[in-house]
Amino acid sequence: MLIHINPSTGVPIYCQIESQVKQAVAAGAFREGYALPSVRKLAAELRINPNTVARAYQELERSGVIRTVPGGGTFVADNVPGLLKSEKIRRLRPLVRQVAVEGTQLRLTSPEILGLVAEELEKLGGRR
Amino acid sequence: MNGLAISSDGLTKDYRKVRAVDDLSLGVPEGSVYGFLGRNGAGKTTTIKMLLGLTRPGTGSAQVLGLDILKGHLAILERTAYVSETKILFESMTTEELVRFNRGFFSRWSDEAASKYAALLEIPPRQRFGKLSRGNRTKVCLLLALAQKADLLILDEPTAGLDPVAVDEVLRILIEDHVSRGHAVFFSSHHLAEVERVADWVGILDHGRLLLEARLEDVRSQFRRITASGNGLPSKASPPVLAWSQSEQFWKYIVTRDSEQFATALREQGAAVVEVSPLNLQEIFLELVRKEAPCTSGSVGATHAGVV
Repeated sequence: MLIHINPSTGVPIYCQIESQVKQAVAAGAFREGYALPSVRKLAAELRINPNTVARAYQELERSGVIRTVPGGGTFVADNVPGLLKSEKIRRLRPLVRQVAVEGTQLRLTSPEILGLVAEELEKLGGRR
Repeated sequence: MNGLAISSDGLTKDYRKVRAVDDLSLGVPEGSVYGFLGRNGAGKTTTIKMLLGLTRPGTGSAQVLGLDILKGHLAILERTAYVSETKILFESMTTEELVRFNRGFFSRWSDEAASKYAALLEIPPRQRFGKLSRGNRTKVCLLLALAQKADLLILDEPTAGLDPVAVDEVLRILIEDHVSRGHAVFFSSHHLAEVERVADWVGILDHGRLLLEARLEDVRSQFRRITASGNGLPSKASPPVLAWSQSEQFWKYIVTRDSEQFATALREQGAAVVEVSPLNLQEIFLELVRKEAPCTSGSVGATHAGVV
Protein backbone atom coordinates (compact mmCIF):
# COMPACT_ATOMS: atom_id res chain seq x y z
CA MET A 1 0.00 0.00 0.00
CA LEU A 2 1.43 3.36 -0.91
CA ILE A 3 -0.16 5.53 1.71
CA HIS A 4 1.95 7.66 3.99
CA ILE A 5 0.81 10.22 6.44
CA ASN A 6 2.36 13.23 8.06
CA PRO A 7 0.86 13.65 11.50
CA SER A 8 2.27 17.11 12.11
CA THR A 9 0.60 19.11 9.36
CA GLY A 10 -2.68 20.89 9.78
CA VAL A 11 -4.43 18.29 7.67
CA PRO A 12 -6.50 15.70 9.54
CA ILE A 13 -5.06 12.22 9.03
CA TYR A 14 -8.31 10.81 7.70
CA CYS A 15 -8.27 13.53 5.00
CA GLN A 16 -4.70 12.61 4.11
CA ILE A 17 -5.69 8.98 3.61
CA GLU A 18 -8.83 9.95 1.75
CA SER A 19 -7.03 12.21 -0.71
CA GLN A 20 -4.20 9.74 -1.28
CA VAL A 21 -6.62 6.96 -2.13
CA LYS A 22 -8.47 9.31 -4.48
CA GLN A 23 -5.17 10.28 -6.05
CA ALA A 24 -4.13 6.66 -6.48
CA VAL A 25 -7.46 5.89 -8.11
CA ALA A 26 -7.21 8.95 -10.36
CA ALA A 27 -3.69 7.97 -11.37
CA GLY A 28 -4.77 4.43 -12.11
CA ALA A 29 -2.53 2.93 -9.41
CA PHE A 30 -5.60 1.47 -7.71
CA ARG A 31 -7.80 -0.03 -10.40
CA GLU A 32 -11.42 -1.10 -10.18
CA GLY A 33 -11.79 -3.97 -7.79
CA TYR A 34 -8.45 -3.34 -6.12
CA ALA A 35 -8.69 -4.63 -2.55
CA LEU A 36 -7.71 -2.09 0.06
CA PRO A 37 -6.19 -3.36 3.31
CA SER A 38 -8.55 -3.85 6.23
CA VAL A 39 -9.00 -0.98 8.65
CA ARG A 40 -7.06 -2.86 11.28
CA LYS A 41 -4.20 -3.71 8.94
CA LEU A 42 -3.79 -0.21 7.55
CA ALA A 43 -4.00 1.28 11.05
CA ALA A 44 -1.25 -1.04 12.27
CA GLU A 45 0.84 -0.31 9.20
CA LEU A 46 0.56 3.45 9.64
CA ARG A 47 0.64 3.30 13.47
CA ILE A 48 -2.56 5.27 13.77
CA ASN A 49 -5.86 4.75 15.50
CA PRO A 50 -8.19 2.36 13.61
CA ASN A 51 -11.04 4.85 14.05
CA THR A 52 -9.12 7.29 11.88
CA VAL A 53 -8.80 4.75 9.07
CA ALA A 54 -12.44 3.78 9.47
CA ARG A 55 -13.43 7.43 9.09
CA ALA A 56 -11.34 7.79 5.91
CA TYR A 57 -12.97 4.66 4.46
CA GLN A 58 -16.43 5.96 5.37
CA GLU A 59 -15.78 9.23 3.58
CA LEU A 60 -14.43 7.37 0.55
CA GLU A 61 -17.43 5.11 0.49
CA ARG A 62 -19.79 8.06 0.80
CA SER A 63 -18.22 9.70 -2.22
CA GLY A 64 -18.43 6.43 -4.13
CA VAL A 65 -14.72 5.79 -4.55
CA ILE A 66 -14.71 2.50 -2.67
CA ARG A 67 -17.29 -0.05 -1.68
CA THR A 68 -17.33 -2.30 1.34
CA VAL A 69 -18.58 -5.84 1.09
CA PRO A 70 -19.79 -6.86 4.55
CA GLY A 71 -17.33 -9.42 5.85
CA GLY A 72 -15.54 -9.45 2.53
CA GLY A 73 -13.32 -6.42 2.45
CA THR A 74 -13.03 -3.03 0.86
CA PHE A 75 -12.58 -2.48 -2.86
CA VAL A 76 -12.13 0.33 -5.31
CA ALA A 77 -15.60 0.89 -6.77
CA ASP A 78 -16.36 -0.46 -10.23
CA ASN A 79 -17.31 2.81 -11.74
CA VAL A 80 -16.62 5.84 -9.66
CA PRO A 81 -19.95 7.56 -10.10
CA GLY A 82 -19.97 10.63 -12.28
CA LEU A 83 -20.55 13.74 -10.27
CA LEU A 84 -22.24 16.67 -11.88
CA LYS A 85 -19.71 18.84 -13.62
CA SER A 86 -20.76 21.81 -11.51
CA GLU A 87 -20.21 19.79 -8.33
CA LYS A 88 -16.75 18.72 -9.51
CA ILE A 89 -15.89 22.34 -10.15
CA ARG A 90 -17.28 23.40 -6.80
CA ARG A 91 -15.02 20.89 -5.04
CA LEU A 92 -11.92 21.81 -6.97
CA ARG A 93 -12.27 25.58 -6.87
CA PRO A 94 -10.93 26.17 -3.32
CA LEU A 95 -7.78 24.19 -4.11
CA VAL A 96 -7.26 26.09 -7.34
CA ARG A 97 -7.79 29.36 -5.50
CA GLN A 98 -5.12 28.36 -3.02
CA VAL A 99 -2.67 27.60 -5.83
CA ALA A 100 -3.45 30.96 -7.40
CA VAL A 101 -2.97 32.89 -4.14
CA GLU A 102 0.19 31.08 -3.09
CA GLY A 103 1.64 31.32 -6.58
CA THR A 104 0.98 35.02 -6.79
CA GLN A 105 2.44 35.62 -3.35
CA LEU A 106 5.58 33.80 -4.44
CA ARG A 107 5.64 36.15 -7.44
CA LEU A 108 5.33 33.43 -10.02
CA THR A 109 3.77 34.53 -13.29
CA SER A 110 0.47 33.15 -14.52
CA PRO A 111 2.13 31.08 -17.29
CA GLU A 112 4.54 29.64 -14.69
CA ILE A 113 1.68 28.64 -12.40
CA LEU A 114 -0.34 27.19 -15.25
CA GLY A 115 2.78 25.39 -16.45
CA LEU A 116 3.15 23.70 -13.06
CA VAL A 117 -0.45 22.55 -13.12
CA ALA A 118 0.04 21.23 -16.63
CA GLU A 119 3.15 19.33 -15.50
CA GLU A 120 1.27 17.66 -12.67
CA LEU A 121 -1.53 16.67 -15.04
CA GLU A 122 1.07 15.27 -17.38
CA LYS A 123 2.51 13.10 -14.62
CA LEU A 124 -0.91 11.62 -13.83
CA GLY A 125 -1.62 11.06 -17.51
CA GLY A 126 1.71 9.29 -17.96
CA ARG A 127 0.70 6.60 -15.50
CA ARG A 128 -2.61 5.77 -17.03
CA MET B 1 -20.06 4.28 31.44
CA ASN B 2 -20.85 7.18 29.12
CA GLY B 3 -18.53 5.83 26.47
CA LEU B 4 -15.56 6.72 28.62
CA ALA B 5 -12.80 4.33 29.64
CA ILE B 6 -11.54 6.82 32.21
CA SER B 7 -13.33 9.82 33.62
CA SER B 8 -12.45 12.02 36.53
CA ASP B 9 -14.17 14.89 38.22
CA GLY B 10 -12.27 17.50 40.22
CA LEU B 11 -9.48 15.13 41.14
CA THR B 12 -7.06 16.86 43.51
CA LYS B 13 -4.01 15.64 45.39
CA ASP B 14 -1.65 17.49 47.72
CA TYR B 15 1.74 16.29 48.86
CA ARG B 16 2.41 18.29 52.02
CA LYS B 17 2.16 21.84 50.75
CA VAL B 18 2.50 21.10 47.08
CA ARG B 19 -0.64 20.66 45.00
CA ALA B 20 0.38 17.85 42.64
CA VAL B 21 -2.95 17.50 40.86
CA ASP B 22 -5.42 20.35 40.82
CA ASP B 23 -9.12 19.93 40.08
CA LEU B 24 -8.53 17.51 37.23
CA SER B 25 -11.47 16.48 35.07
CA LEU B 26 -10.46 14.04 32.37
CA GLY B 27 -12.47 12.12 29.80
CA VAL B 28 -10.78 9.27 27.98
CA PRO B 29 -13.16 7.77 25.39
CA GLU B 30 -13.42 4.01 24.99
CA GLY B 31 -11.22 2.72 22.23
CA SER B 32 -9.14 5.86 22.13
CA VAL B 33 -5.41 6.29 22.31
CA TYR B 34 -5.02 9.15 24.73
CA GLY B 35 -1.66 10.92 25.02
CA PHE B 36 -1.26 12.45 28.45
CA LEU B 37 1.35 15.17 28.19
CA GLY B 38 3.12 17.43 30.59
CA ARG B 39 6.54 18.46 31.78
CA ASN B 40 8.41 16.62 34.51
CA GLY B 41 6.53 17.12 37.75
CA ALA B 42 3.32 18.23 36.04
CA GLY B 43 1.33 15.61 37.93
CA LYS B 44 1.00 12.86 35.32
CA THR B 45 2.32 10.03 37.45
CA THR B 46 0.30 11.14 40.48
CA THR B 47 -2.83 11.16 38.32
CA ILE B 48 -2.09 7.68 37.00
CA LYS B 49 -1.49 6.36 40.52
CA MET B 50 -4.80 7.79 41.70
CA LEU B 51 -6.62 6.19 38.78
CA LEU B 52 -5.17 2.82 39.72
CA GLY B 53 -5.91 3.20 43.41
CA LEU B 54 -2.20 3.28 44.25
CA THR B 55 -2.58 6.61 45.99
CA ARG B 56 -5.74 8.23 47.36
CA PRO B 57 -7.04 11.51 45.99
CA GLY B 58 -7.50 14.39 48.40
CA THR B 59 -10.81 15.35 46.84
CA GLY B 60 -12.67 14.54 43.65
CA SER B 61 -13.68 11.27 42.09
CA ALA B 62 -12.86 9.11 39.12
CA GLN B 63 -14.09 6.04 37.29
CA VAL B 64 -11.95 3.60 35.39
CA LEU B 65 -13.86 1.19 33.13
CA GLY B 66 -16.96 2.38 34.91
CA LEU B 67 -15.58 1.39 38.33
CA ASP B 68 -15.09 3.87 41.13
CA ILE B 69 -11.37 4.21 41.93
CA LEU B 70 -11.94 4.03 45.68
CA LYS B 71 -14.48 1.22 45.86
CA GLY B 72 -13.45 -0.76 42.82
CA HIS B 73 -9.70 -0.53 42.68
CA LEU B 74 -9.07 -4.27 42.86
CA ALA B 75 -11.40 -4.87 39.92
CA ILE B 76 -9.70 -2.01 38.11
CA LEU B 77 -6.26 -3.55 38.66
CA GLU B 78 -7.53 -6.87 37.37
CA ARG B 79 -8.82 -5.39 34.12
CA THR B 80 -6.13 -2.78 33.55
CA ALA B 81 -2.52 -3.35 32.62
CA TYR B 82 -0.09 -0.80 33.95
CA VAL B 83 3.49 0.08 33.12
CA SER B 84 4.94 2.30 35.80
CA GLU B 85 7.23 5.20 35.23
CA THR B 86 9.99 3.61 37.33
CA LYS B 87 9.91 0.19 35.61
CA ILE B 88 11.17 -1.60 38.69
CA LEU B 89 10.77 -5.37 38.89
CA PHE B 90 12.63 -8.06 40.87
CA GLU B 91 16.26 -7.51 39.89
CA SER B 92 17.37 -11.08 40.39
CA MET B 93 14.70 -12.65 38.19
CA THR B 94 15.20 -13.37 34.50
CA THR B 95 12.59 -12.42 31.89
CA GLU B 96 11.36 -16.01 31.77
CA GLU B 97 11.01 -16.11 35.54
CA LEU B 98 9.19 -12.79 35.60
CA VAL B 99 6.74 -14.09 33.04
CA ARG B 100 6.13 -17.25 35.08
CA PHE B 101 5.75 -15.18 38.23
CA ASN B 102 3.28 -12.70 36.71
CA ARG B 103 1.03 -14.98 34.71
CA GLY B 104 -0.68 -16.38 37.79
CA PHE B 105 -2.07 -13.01 38.80
CA PHE B 106 -4.14 -12.40 35.69
CA SER B 107 -7.07 -14.52 34.61
CA ARG B 108 -6.79 -13.56 30.95
CA TRP B 109 -3.02 -13.91 30.67
CA SER B 110 -1.88 -15.24 27.30
CA ASP B 111 1.31 -17.31 27.15
CA GLU B 112 1.12 -17.17 23.41
CA ALA B 113 1.10 -13.36 23.45
CA ALA B 114 3.94 -13.32 25.95
CA SER B 115 6.23 -15.40 23.75
CA LYS B 116 5.17 -13.48 20.65
CA TYR B 117 6.06 -10.12 22.21
CA ALA B 118 9.30 -11.44 23.68
CA ALA B 119 10.33 -12.42 20.16
CA LEU B 120 9.04 -9.25 18.44
CA LEU B 121 10.73 -6.99 20.94
CA GLU B 122 13.90 -9.12 20.99
CA ILE B 123 14.01 -9.40 24.77
CA PRO B 124 16.87 -11.51 26.17
CA PRO B 125 15.01 -14.38 27.92
CA ARG B 126 17.62 -15.53 30.39
CA GLN B 127 19.23 -12.35 31.61
CA ARG B 128 18.42 -11.09 35.07
CA PHE B 129 16.25 -7.99 35.10
CA GLY B 130 18.88 -6.12 37.12
CA LYS B 131 21.43 -6.68 34.35
CA LEU B 132 19.24 -5.42 31.52
CA SER B 133 19.68 -2.09 29.78
CA ARG B 134 17.09 0.63 30.38
CA GLY B 135 15.43 -0.05 27.04
CA ASN B 136 15.22 -3.77 27.65
CA ARG B 137 13.71 -3.18 31.11
CA THR B 138 11.02 -1.08 29.49
CA LYS B 139 10.38 -3.87 26.99
CA VAL B 140 9.99 -6.45 29.76
CA CYS B 141 7.46 -4.20 31.52
CA LEU B 142 5.55 -3.78 28.28
CA LEU B 143 5.61 -7.51 27.64
CA LEU B 144 4.15 -8.21 31.08
CA ALA B 145 1.45 -5.58 30.54
CA LEU B 146 0.49 -6.63 27.02
CA ALA B 147 0.28 -10.35 27.79
CA GLN B 148 -2.44 -9.63 30.37
CA LYS B 149 -4.93 -9.02 27.56
CA ALA B 150 -6.38 -6.23 29.65
CA ASP B 151 -9.34 -4.03 28.76
CA LEU B 152 -7.32 -0.88 29.30
CA LEU B 153 -3.64 -0.05 29.15
CA ILE B 154 -2.29 2.67 31.38
CA LEU B 155 1.29 3.30 30.42
CA ASP B 156 3.55 5.79 32.14
CA GLU B 157 6.24 6.67 29.61
CA PRO B 158 6.05 3.33 27.80
CA THR B 159 8.75 4.14 25.28
CA ALA B 160 11.35 5.64 27.60
CA GLY B 161 14.79 4.38 26.67
CA LEU B 162 13.64 2.49 23.57
CA ASP B 163 15.42 2.85 20.26
CA PRO B 164 13.35 4.11 17.29
CA VAL B 165 12.86 0.63 15.84
CA ALA B 166 11.57 -0.67 19.16
CA VAL B 167 9.28 2.35 19.54
CA ASP B 168 7.84 1.68 16.11
CA GLU B 169 7.30 -1.98 16.94
CA VAL B 170 5.60 -1.12 20.25
CA LEU B 171 3.23 1.29 18.51
CA ARG B 172 2.37 -1.35 15.93
CA ILE B 173 1.64 -3.93 18.63
CA LEU B 174 -0.52 -1.48 20.56
CA ILE B 175 -2.60 -0.66 17.50
CA GLU B 176 -2.85 -4.15 16.07
CA ASP B 177 -3.43 -6.18 19.21
CA HIS B 178 -5.02 -3.75 21.61
CA VAL B 179 -6.68 -0.71 20.05
CA SER B 180 -8.08 -2.71 17.14
CA ARG B 181 -9.99 -4.78 19.68
CA GLY B 182 -11.68 -1.59 20.84
CA HIS B 183 -9.64 -1.11 23.98
CA ALA B 184 -8.24 2.20 25.11
CA VAL B 185 -4.65 3.17 25.81
CA PHE B 186 -3.91 6.00 28.21
CA PHE B 187 -0.25 6.86 28.11
CA SER B 188 2.12 9.61 29.16
CA SER B 189 5.03 10.52 26.97
CA HIS B 190 7.52 13.22 26.20
CA HIS B 191 7.89 12.14 22.59
CA LEU B 192 5.42 14.46 20.95
CA ALA B 193 5.98 13.22 17.40
CA GLU B 194 5.09 9.69 18.47
CA VAL B 195 2.04 10.91 20.37
CA GLU B 196 0.95 12.89 17.36
CA ARG B 197 1.05 9.80 15.20
CA VAL B 198 -0.54 7.20 17.38
CA ALA B 199 -2.88 9.15 19.64
CA ASP B 200 -6.32 10.38 18.72
CA TRP B 201 -6.83 12.34 21.93
CA VAL B 202 -4.43 14.51 23.91
CA GLY B 203 -4.52 16.05 27.33
CA ILE B 204 -1.91 18.58 28.42
CA LEU B 205 -1.26 18.90 32.12
CA ASP B 206 0.79 21.66 33.74
CA HIS B 207 1.27 22.26 37.44
CA GLY B 208 -1.44 19.73 38.10
CA ARG B 209 -4.00 21.49 35.93
CA LEU B 210 -5.43 20.31 32.65
CA LEU B 211 -4.75 23.08 30.15
CA LEU B 212 -6.16 21.28 27.16
CA GLU B 213 -8.09 18.17 26.31
CA ALA B 214 -8.92 17.71 22.66
CA ARG B 215 -9.34 15.33 19.79
CA LEU B 216 -6.20 15.46 17.66
CA GLU B 217 -8.21 15.70 14.45
CA ASP B 218 -9.78 18.88 15.82
CA VAL B 219 -6.35 20.20 16.70
CA ARG B 220 -5.25 19.58 13.11
CA SER B 221 -8.29 20.94 11.39
CA GLN B 222 -9.27 23.81 13.68
CA PHE B 223 -6.42 24.98 15.88
CA ARG B 224 -4.58 27.85 14.24
CA ARG B 225 -1.87 30.30 15.11
CA ILE B 226 -2.82 33.81 14.09
CA THR B 227 -0.14 36.45 13.89
CA ALA B 228 -1.29 40.03 13.60
CA SER B 229 0.24 43.44 13.93
CA GLY B 230 -1.54 46.49 15.24
CA ASN B 231 -2.25 48.44 18.36
CA GLY B 232 -4.42 47.57 21.31
CA LEU B 233 -5.45 44.17 20.03
CA PRO B 234 -7.42 41.85 22.31
CA SER B 235 -5.33 40.51 25.17
CA LYS B 236 -7.68 38.03 26.69
CA ALA B 237 -7.45 34.29 26.69
CA SER B 238 -11.10 33.52 26.47
CA PRO B 239 -12.55 31.12 23.90
CA PRO B 240 -11.70 30.59 21.17
CA VAL B 241 -8.31 31.99 22.25
CA LEU B 242 -6.35 29.32 24.05
CA ALA B 243 -3.19 31.37 24.55
CA TRP B 244 -1.76 34.63 23.35
CA SER B 245 1.48 36.54 23.51
CA GLN B 246 2.70 39.92 22.38
CA SER B 247 6.05 41.29 21.38
CA GLU B 248 6.27 44.88 20.19
CA GLN B 249 3.42 45.45 17.76
CA PHE B 250 2.98 41.75 17.02
CA TRP B 251 0.27 39.70 18.65
CA LYS B 252 0.20 35.96 18.45
CA TYR B 253 -2.95 34.01 19.22
CA ILE B 254 -3.70 30.34 19.36
CA VAL B 255 -7.33 29.75 18.65
CA THR B 256 -9.13 26.45 19.00
CA ARG B 257 -11.76 27.12 16.33
CA ASP B 258 -13.27 29.78 14.07
CA SER B 259 -9.85 31.09 13.04
CA GLU B 260 -11.24 32.85 9.98
CA GLN B 261 -13.85 34.74 11.99
CA PHE B 262 -11.22 35.69 14.54
CA ALA B 263 -8.89 36.97 11.83
CA THR B 264 -11.73 38.95 10.30
CA ALA B 265 -12.54 40.49 13.67
CA LEU B 266 -8.88 41.51 14.06
CA ARG B 267 -8.89 43.12 10.62
CA GLU B 268 -12.02 45.03 11.55
CA GLN B 269 -10.08 46.45 14.49
CA GLY B 270 -7.48 47.76 12.09
CA ALA B 271 -4.94 44.97 12.52
CA ALA B 272 -2.90 43.49 9.70
CA VAL B 273 -3.21 39.72 9.88
CA VAL B 274 0.20 38.41 8.94
CA GLU B 275 -0.46 34.71 9.08
CA VAL B 276 -3.04 32.07 9.92
CA SER B 277 -1.29 28.74 10.13
CA PRO B 278 -1.79 25.27 11.56
CA LEU B 279 0.33 24.14 14.48
CA ASN B 280 1.79 20.81 15.38
CA LEU B 281 1.54 19.27 18.81
CA GLN B 282 5.03 20.35 19.79
CA GLU B 283 4.21 24.00 19.05
CA ILE B 284 0.95 23.86 20.97
CA PHE B 285 2.65 22.17 23.89
CA LEU B 286 5.40 24.79 24.04
CA GLU B 287 2.95 27.66 23.73
CA LEU B 288 0.87 26.29 26.56
CA VAL B 289 3.43 25.21 29.12
CA ARG B 290 6.48 27.32 28.47
CA LYS B 291 7.28 29.42 31.51
CA GLU B 292 7.27 32.74 29.73
CA ALA B 293 3.90 32.06 28.15
CA PRO B 294 2.08 34.98 29.75
CA CYS B 295 -1.50 33.88 29.72
CA THR B 296 -3.39 30.75 29.13
CA SER B 297 -7.05 30.48 29.66
CA GLY B 298 -6.55 27.50 31.95
CA SER B 299 -10.23 27.18 31.50
CA VAL B 300 -10.73 23.54 30.88
CA GLY B 301 -14.47 23.85 30.70
CA ALA B 302 -14.16 26.39 27.96
CA THR B 303 -11.82 24.18 26.00
CA HIS B 304 -14.22 21.30 26.39
CA ALA B 305 -17.14 23.33 25.24
CA GLY B 306 -15.33 24.80 22.29
CA VAL B 307 -13.25 21.99 21.01
CA VAL B 308 -14.07 18.62 22.37
